[in-house]
Amino acid sequence: MAADQDLITDVTDVEPVEIPGRWDFAFTYFAGNAASRFFAEIRENRRVMGTRCPKCRRLLVPARSFCDACFERTTEWVPVSNEGTLETFTIITAAFPGLPEPPVVLAYVTLDGADTALVNVVTGVDCSDIDAAAARLFEQPRVRLSFVAEPQGRMTDFSFVLAD
Amino acid sequence: MSNPVAIVGVGQTGYRRAHKDKSSSDLIWESAKLALDDAGMTIDDVDVVVQGVAPDALSGEICGEKTAIIGAGKPHLRVNTGGVTGSSAAFSGASYVASGRARAALVVSLERMGQATSSQQVFNTIFDPVYEKDFPLTTITMAALRASMLMRMYGYTEEHWAKIASRNYRNALKNPLAHIHKDYSPQDVMDSPLLAWPIHRYEACPMSEGACAIVIADERSAQGRTPAWIQGMASTSDSYAMGDRIHRPEATLVDLLTLRMSAERAYADAGVTDPVHEINVIELYSPFSSAEAMTYPALGLCKAEDGPAFVDRQGVDPELPVFNPSGGPQAANPVSATALVRIAEAALQVRGRAGDRQVPGVRRALATGQGGATQFSTVCVLGAQRPPARS
Repeated sequence: MAADQDLITDVTDVEPVEIPGRWDFAFTYFAGNAASRFFAEIRENRRVMGTRCPKCRRLLVPARSFCDACFERTTEWVPVSNEGTLETFTIITAAFPGLPEPPVVLAYVTLDGADTALVNVVTGVDCSDIDAAAARLFEQPRVRLSFVAEPQGRMTDFSFVLAD
Repeated sequence: MSNPVAIVGVGQTGYRRAHKDKSSSDLIWESAKLALDDAGMTIDDVDVVVQGVAPDALSGEICGEKTAIIGAGKPHLRVNTGGVTGSSAAFSGASYVASGRARAALVVSLERMGQATSSQQVFNTIFDPVYEKDFPLTTITMAALRASMLMRMYGYTEEHWAKIASRNYRNALKNPLAHIHKDYSPQDVMDSPLLAWPIHRYEACPMSEGACAIVIADERSAQGRTPAWIQGMASTSDSYAMGDRIHRPEATLVDLLTLRMSAERAYADAGVTDPVHEINVIELYSPFSSAEAMTYPALGLCKAEDGPAFVDRQGVDPELPVFNPSGGPQAANPVSATALVRIAEAALQVRGRAGDRQVPGVRRALATGQGGATQFSTVCVLGAQRPPARS
């Protein structure tokens, strides 16, 4: 009843105690066989590979060991183009603690030959005028992959750049 | 076997940036006590307790509900399905009761993110560490990627996003439990700082904490109480990878295939064939305006390409249901609890207990839930009329 709540949760004449806390754990993420090969192809051959589902025939990019829509193991590795079409995007303009400094352009791109889109950042976009940058990206421009000088076998080994 | 079940009690702590005067267990206790009081029950009247808490890192507590194992000696479940945690918990409790394994279920969802100094870094960790987490994917950017796609495909503008947000804020003025009580005009929303194009600050949900509880009862336990009958409820999941859904022929990333499937199933059970005219109130899981817009066609309220015109009709066309009389998640988004708040608010409307935000003459209300990278969707149809038993 109301009296109980007064006793337990509605005491107002004490200073609420605040105890500092911090989570700072280190982890190692295991990518698995499919992603490990996907990253090796990027690192060694500067190419993006997909895996094909034998049932729906979609070429899944980035590569997966199975197709979760069909519940089938993927069987075939196929390279896709280093060029593609920007599907959708956002331009991050506000700073958030622990996240990259803005502006950052984030986009999904379908590389030619793939049946799925891949997320990465778009580098080299002039963001001095956000609305103008958005208007350009809104037109679904062609993009191509740009690899870093020394790939580590990570998604950050490449980014998208506008093709023209 | 599925017996009729009803929501007979609702308890909410109210939602704000931080409840600094309450521990996690205090919040759970308070909402549970309020729900049981509303139902006219004690903890002894319920046979199962289901608690929902979403990502632990938002509170910095693993299993923040552990210090409030209420009603010890009963089955106890903890549910975490991201944004639909609250509705998943409700459906779990309802399944216990509908199957005859419990007379009544107590369902509590806690959000404790007031203890976090920043949420977006935590939200980045919900994404796949192999292919996605290296990029600034967050709840805000995830919504922004969809918003720009909706603008391109269906012609939404920033004015539409601002209009939706403004209406939700205005509704929240009548809800003392809401976190934000500001009468932001559409222009105010568009003038607020840009977070991630096209999303402005006042279009994005706040960080809110608080707890919500409901009591779900079987037909016998519902007698003599004020029930909101669960006429239909459905929960469906989708592929995780957002990029896999962009080219899907039956429904793209912004067409919310699984919300449509959930709605179709829930409508079939509830006997709803014309949702625009047969549902009076809709409480949407819509932390962003684009998230709200995606629900309209999925719920059968309009065609996808008519979405922008549908926004313009709201508040003008009296035939349309009332959207988010509580103010919705843009005015209070206690993440783990948000989908349960939708159900609780819909139940209050059906039971005629929604106070200043009560919509007159509500016979049927609908609540949605949307979780993860929109890979979980729930729909719950509540009504004043008891549904038949199903074998």
